[in-house]
Amino acid sequence: MKKTLSIFFLLLNALLSISQCDLTLQGKVIDHHDRQPLEFATIFIKESGKGAITDSLGYYVISGLCPGTYTITCVHIGCDSISELITITADQTKNFYPEHHLHELGLVNIVSEKVPEKTVQPSYEMKGRELDEQRGESLGQALKTITGVNTIQTGGNVSKPVIHGMHSNRILILNNGIRQEGQQWGSEHAPEIDPFIANKLTVIKGANSVRYGSDAIAGVILVEPNKLRDSAGVGAEVNLVGMSNGRSGTASAMLEQNFKKIPALSWRLQGTLKQSGATHTPTYYLKNTGMKEYNFSAAAGWKKEKYGAEIFYSQFNTTLGIFAGAHIGNVSDLYDAINRTEPLEKGEFTYSIDRPYQHIEHELFKAKAFVLTGKAGKLNIIYARQYNLRNEFSKDKPLNDSLAALNKPELQFEITSHSADLTWEHNYIKHFTGMIGVSGMTQGNTYSGRYFIPNYRNYSGGIYWIEKYSRNKFQLEAGIRYDYRWLRIYKYEGKVIVSPIYNYENVSGTLTAVYKASKKVSFNFNAGSAWRPPAVNELYSDGIHHGSATFEIGDKTLKPEKAYNFIAGMNYHSEKLHAEVELYHNIIDDYINLQPQIPATVTIHGSFPTFVYTQSDATFTGLDAQLSYYIIPQLLITGKASVLRAFNKTTNDWLIQMPSDRFSGEITYNFKKAKKISESYITLNAEYTNKQWRVPANSDYLSPPKAYTLINLEMGTTVHLGTQTITIGIGCNNLLNTSYRNYMNRFRYYSDEMGRNITLRLKIPINYSPKTKSTEK
Amino acid sequence: MKTTLKTFAILLIIAISIFTGCKKDTDSPVAEPPPPVNESEIMTTFRLNFTDSAGFAPSVAAQFRDPDGDGGNPPVQFDTVKLSANTTYLAYITILDETKTPADTISKEIKEEANDHLFFFTPGAGINETITILDLDTNPTPLPLGLQTKWKTGSASSGTTHIVLRHQAGVKNGSYTPGETDIDITFQTKIQ
Repeated sequence: MKKTLSIFFLLLNALLSISQCDLTLQGKVIDHHDRQPLEFATIFIKESGKGAITDSLGYYVISGLCPGTYTITCVHIGCDSISELITITADQTKNFYPEHHLHELGLVNIVSEKVPEKTVQPSYEMKGRELDEQRGESLGQALKTITGVNTIQTGGNVSKPVIHGMHSNRILILNNGIRQEGQQWGSEHAPEIDPFIANKLTVIKGANSVRYGSDAIAGVILVEPNKLRDSAGVGAEVNLVGMSNGRSGTASAMLEQNFKKIPALSWRLQGTLKQSGATHTPTYYLKNTGMKEYNFSAAAGWKKEKYGAEIFYSQFNTTLGIFAGAHIGNVSDLYDAINRTEPLEKGEFTYSIDRPYQHIEHELFKAKAFVLTGKAGKLNIIYARQYNLRNEFSKDKPLNDSLAALNKPELQFEITSHSADLTWEHNYIKHFTGMIGVSGMTQGNTYSGRYFIPNYRNYSGGIYWIEKYSRNKFQLEAGIRYDYRWLRIYKYEGKVIVSPIYNYENVSGTLTAVYKASKKVSFNFNAGSAWRPPAVNELYSDGIHHGSATFEIGDKTLKPEKAYNFIAGMNYHSEKLHAEVELYHNIIDDYINLQPQIPATVTIHGSFPTFVYTQSDATFTGLDAQLSYYIIPQLLITGKASVLRAFNKTTNDWLIQMPSDRFSGEITYNFKKAKKISESYITLNAEYTNKQWRVPANSDYLSPPKAYTLINLEMGTTVHLGTQTITIGIGCNNLLNTSYRNYMNRFRYYSDEMGRNITLRLKIPINYSPKTKSTEK
Repeated sequence: MKTTLKTFAILLIIAISIFTGCKKDTDSPVAEPPPPVNESEIMTTFRLNFTDSAGFAPSVAAQFRDPDGDGGNPPVQFDTVKLSANTTYLAYITILDETKTPADTISKEIKEEANDHLFFFTPGAGINETITILDLDTNPTPLPLGLQTKWKTGSASSGTTHIVLRHQAGVKNGSYTPGETDIDITFQTKIQ
């Protein structure tokens, strides 16, 4: 049947096709509720009359398509049919998620929409089951399973994502499309984002300043919420997560609605509560490692075919205990701590959080609108305001009783940012699609308490243009951007305010080529540049960095850092084998890093090794690879490798604090669908992290910890109770309760990492669609 | 098309006015940073005053002064402790925060929190001195504090004296190990 059909379509194609009509649309049809692939679903293109029927894995391919905009309909018995308007300019993947309604056939409102322009640069999306497995973890921890992505930690509660060895100001995080603007310069400042907001996390590796602006040196992380509901009815989702280590509990809920009578209007509310007590290593509790967090967001949208607007507000609040054993006064304290096999102060289990701790708040307000500019394209405008508050409380209150009674943070930073973006995306014109945009931002930063960085205000603006050319098997994307930044510092020197002004500007470019050799194999090559102006701490910090017991001194004369990044990749995708290999080489001119300085700084607390922010030329070269193979349809084996060599060309030595090579292997068994359960699977994972051998000599108090292997177990199932489903997941990290220390954790001097952790997750989606008498055909 | 644009504009205005109307901005340009003298406590000055218990040798003072606190300018004064040979001195310690006007006497606060603090005095190699702590804290079984000490010098010699203040909130037991270091100074010492 399939063969006949395809021959038929081939003939039809030959008759109808004009030149360059060889694009392919492919994808999967998956049940909206139980996520099972749907066989015998029909995919039909209204305009061309082409179509296909899904195979036993829910997979379909329609080839021989000319570029253009099509109405594509997906029909499956017992499901509402889905129609969507899709612009095809290159080979494209489109998945459909029809809803099964055995008793009722509801009317689905179809809202046509241009598919948002995605970069063709290599990226990795984490969603569905993969994201579900990370529920309850922080953003930094959740992304760790992606090749080339790591975390830098300050104890168990503070973790930041690391891409290709770089973090903080060298990674850009877009929270719901907005550049996250907090105090991201510090390695102990975790991203202030509730991962439950997102239903998809995307990591774009490589330099990408053209689209996203400064700081996108190592990559970009997109935290993307689901689109607002566009079919009438009420939807909700409840997520509950419990973890044994720290006895933590997380509850997150989402409620959304689209009005039947006012189909343009939708809204969503979402909130998360989380609390954890002291965590433990295989042999002892880590004192004062509890945390609590409460977050919420609200969104409302008005969407018509030709225009729409959306507002979004979110708040993130957290209080994090900082491991008490990591508090030291000077270098000899640090050596004493290193020489102990276990921390001196061992705690017991408690939920209470004492000094030292951090309290962080982050607010985001966003207003967004779009309008279709005739047939030519789409105009988008986005305004956002962010407010970030960071309070750090030291271990000891001030000695003075009246000061102590105020219980003020020893360090406080407040940063407020306003940004506006205007973009115009143009539709397909003779193989080209593209966008042009301008963006601007202003930011004010103030501190109180102990001095660490000065107050400042900055204004920045950028203008960019990106075009994508798609023809036959080639896709080519090129872009250019100009950025300008004005920065003014306000600082007391003695009793006088000094307020120097800094100006920075940069031109960046990007070029990406994708060649689809066949349906299974594609190659990509990306050359991109990025920049970042020096951060204020790099210009002006001057003080003891507690925790690392070093004295850090900024340099007012630093120049912007520039990155030139090259990535070559290959993708192979067949029914049984899926492989992705990426080689990268990142050249960074004027890489800002801390270099030791002699003599040490003499203070009343003793002498401290001193480091000065210095610029050198650096290279980051590496390989990310992932290979998956279905031995039998139920049994999947996956191997991953992340390898990095980071070198300082100026000092002719390795760079410090770089993730070591990491390899992991896992085996997953997917059970066949049973009567009341589906999507059942079990995964056993082994992860090997090598010792970091490549470190500069005499730059650390302690040589990097030894290599370790962790065994993790993950299993899940979806239970069907009538029409209601519940997805249950059980995970166990560090199954063997291995004691180890991680080079990427700043607290490796003081304590082991967390021991075994058993996680239980429940996900309960609720959907209510109003009954209708008419059915769509 | 025209109406579309109009509606779009209206929606945009509504959205922005909702925002600006609800939230009064508190982030007006950061022209004025907080005053340089803030409420955090900084130890800038460590002073040792010696008096001969027998009243013969002249009184001696030695100090470490870093008036702008850690970093910035290096310490402006770091004296050598010069003591007479074969003498028994009574010494007391004064710790100041000179970033405040008038200077804040931090050693007073340390005395008030004697149960959380403990000084350690370690003569370096070659120096002929023995140092004993005289004052005690207010624990039921009192433990030494160290703001007041007795320095007994021997024959003429030179070397160093290492002084450490341990902050041991809630964990003080008379030993060095618990807590963390608040002060760590090594004075050049000369007995003549």
